[in-house]
Amino acid sequence: MRNFLIVTKFEFLNLVKNKTAIIATVIICLLLSLGLSAPTIRDTFFSSSDEEIAMDQDQGAEHPPSSGRTYGFINKGGITNVDDLKQRFFAGELVAFNNQEELEEQIRSGEVEAGYIIESPTQYQHIVQNNELMGTNPFAFESALAEAYRISAFEDMGIEYSSVEGIISVHIEQQDTVVLGTDSASNYMYTYILVFGLYFLIIIYGQIIATSVASEKSNRAMEVLITSTDSTHLIFGKVIAGALAGICQFGLVILTGITAYNLNAAAWDNSLDFVFKIPGSTLLSFSAFGILGYLFYLFIFGALGALVSRTEDVNTSSTPITLIFVAVFIVSMTGMQNTEGMVLKIASFVPFSSFMAMFVRVSMGTVSTLEVIASLSILAITTALIGYLASKIYRMGTLMYGNPVKLRTVLKLSKGKSLSR
Amino acid sequence: MKLEVKNLRKSFSDTEVLHGISFTIESGKALGFLGRNGAGKTTTIRILMDLFSGNSGEILLNGKKFVPKEHQIGYLPEERGLYPKQKVLEQLVYFGQLRGLTSKEAKENALYWLKRLGVEEHKNKKLETLSKGNQQKVQLAETFICNPDIVVLDEPFSGLDPVNSQILKDIIRELIQQNKLLIFSSHQMGYIEEFCENIALINKGEIVLKGDLKEIKKEYGMNRLTLSDVNLSCNELKEIFDNKLGNIATVVDEKKDYLIIELMGQNTKQDLLKALIELNIDIEKFSTYQPTLEDIFVKKVGDAS
Repeated sequence: MRNFLIVTKFEFLNLVKNKTAIIATVIICLLLSLGLSAPTIRDTFFSSSDEEIAMDQDQGAEHPPSSGRTYGFINKGGITNVDDLKQRFFAGELVAFNNQEELEEQIRSGEVEAGYIIESPTQYQHIVQNNELMGTNPFAFESALAEAYRISAFEDMGIEYSSVEGIISVHIEQQDTVVLGTDSASNYMYTYILVFGLYFLIIIYGQIIATSVASEKSNRAMEVLITSTDSTHLIFGKVIAGALAGICQFGLVILTGITAYNLNAAAWDNSLDFVFKIPGSTLLSFSAFGILGYLFYLFIFGALGALVSRTEDVNTSSTPITLIFVAVFIVSMTGMQNTEGMVLKIASFVPFSSFMAMFVRVSMGTVSTLEVIASLSILAITTALIGYLASKIYRMGTLMYGNPVKLRTVLKLSKGKSLSR
Repeated sequence: MKLEVKNLRKSFSDTEVLHGISFTIESGKALGFLGRNGAGKTTTIRILMDLFSGNSGEILLNGKKFVPKEHQIGYLPEERGLYPKQKVLEQLVYFGQLRGLTSKEAKENALYWLKRLGVEEHKNKKLETLSKGNQQKVQLAETFICNPDIVVLDEPFSGLDPVNSQILKDIIRELIQQNKLLIFSSHQMGYIEEFCENIALINKGEIVLKGDLKEIKKEYGMNRLTLSDVNLSCNELKEIFDNKLGNIATVVDEKKDYLIIELMGQNTKQDLLKALIELNIDIEKFSTYQPTLEDIFVKKVGDAS
């Protein structure tokens, strides 16, 4: 136990004193703090006077802000209320053209963003230089054309549009939703963030542990280490230190985010509560499943590091487990759309995926306590077994130099009486 | 303390690399463990250090099963290895603690050995920034940090210049005086002759020669003499032996300035001396032959090959 603590302390200090890790953590925390403090900073240093705000608001009611872009249109369909169309088009300035060639020429030269040929009051053609996935121009025009149509149609019926506009565009306000079960919609964002964080934590620290073991082997410190203490102390110390360092780093980022948000919640008008107000029970299940899953994978990465002699070979050695892990991540992320899916349910009991899948189910779905306990128990037992196996592989693999050793060979040898002691 | 290796066998896959080797080491008497590359020295040492087990045989300390982790052992492996990116003192303290020292003791011992080995000024530098020789000295400091009762040194002088070799020689002499149990593996026979009272010579996984070095030298020097003449060259002197003294002695080796001759049958040194005087040989050198360890090594390993 004493040596385990010594190894853990040594490895932990190495990880937390790593300059790259410190700089990365500081930058992330700083960006998070600045980002979340942005509304407060804006309100404190860049806010306009009350009069200006009031004036802006008044003007905004009559003349919504324009992007400064120019759009063209040809009124082939002969709509009568062109002024209404122009007024209702908020994406920019809408300029009339007489012929299509001229409009296309202007679009090609970049003078005009896009063009619309009105075939009839309800039909139009869209002309654009490059059709962008996220382009919104047709929708802005479509909306303006629809309004122009409505105005014209109501006028034809002898009704003034302004008198019915309020009825047509009525704003329905939803009061708070009363959730009797799990509020998946509200939990989605923080579950997503926590799962994503866990994914990166395992990928990053898994590689760090594997590389650390491989480098001890390549710089031959292994022989001195193994003759100084038990291999179980070494692998467990290394993995626990990696886990602690990761938890500290991730915890610090989460804590910074929560603190910064709480300090600036008023400036955000509490609009990010769905991200930062993580319930204690969710954090508890995340901690239990996350830590066990994290350890589970770190042990595997540590053992894989022992199978290679050079740090360059770590990636090759860890590719299969990384692929499995990515698949687990995809299953869990997909499962967030439907927590009752069979794949997610099965995945929530398989040790390779349960830590993520069960957490998603607990956080966003309905799971019985028995299921949670069963999944947690399977994961805990498997993690302990993987840890034991990892120490065996570590012990065997670390003295095998040369080409990367196959896992099967090491397991076979570790069973052999000749090499066991 | 008395460490006994008894009938140790070891196979890798289906190939046996140690064929039942046995030897004994006692405190205060360093054992020179010799052998060609691939003879089985490192495998034996690794079994001794419990890095892996032998297939059969036993290792006893004072008659009881030897469990390395129950003893303070200073082990300098053939493949040197520490953390290149760690500061010298930090990693020495770490290794010291792993061997049972408190943080304070480990630091004190580390500083003592760094000073003793002349690398104290590098204590706060990363190991990889040090020269190869200084890295070797840090590795030695790591070996001695726990004040070991048993010291296993695999090629300790490799990478050291003559000045540093002298420092290490003094340390080894001190360890022997302190009655430590010391195993010394090296290709450099001079060092073995300098420190070791006993040797064990391993060849192709078998101990081909072992025992007290002086006795072995005496045995190998038995019936052998060195001879040179004031006027005659070694070649001319050899011709005389071949033509006129063949019934008394025979030339076994010809060195630059003298011949090594072996007495035949029951003939004695006096018989040869008398014959040489009768032949008017102007004797320059006539002495009992003392073989070097290298001679014995080459002869034994050569014979076995």
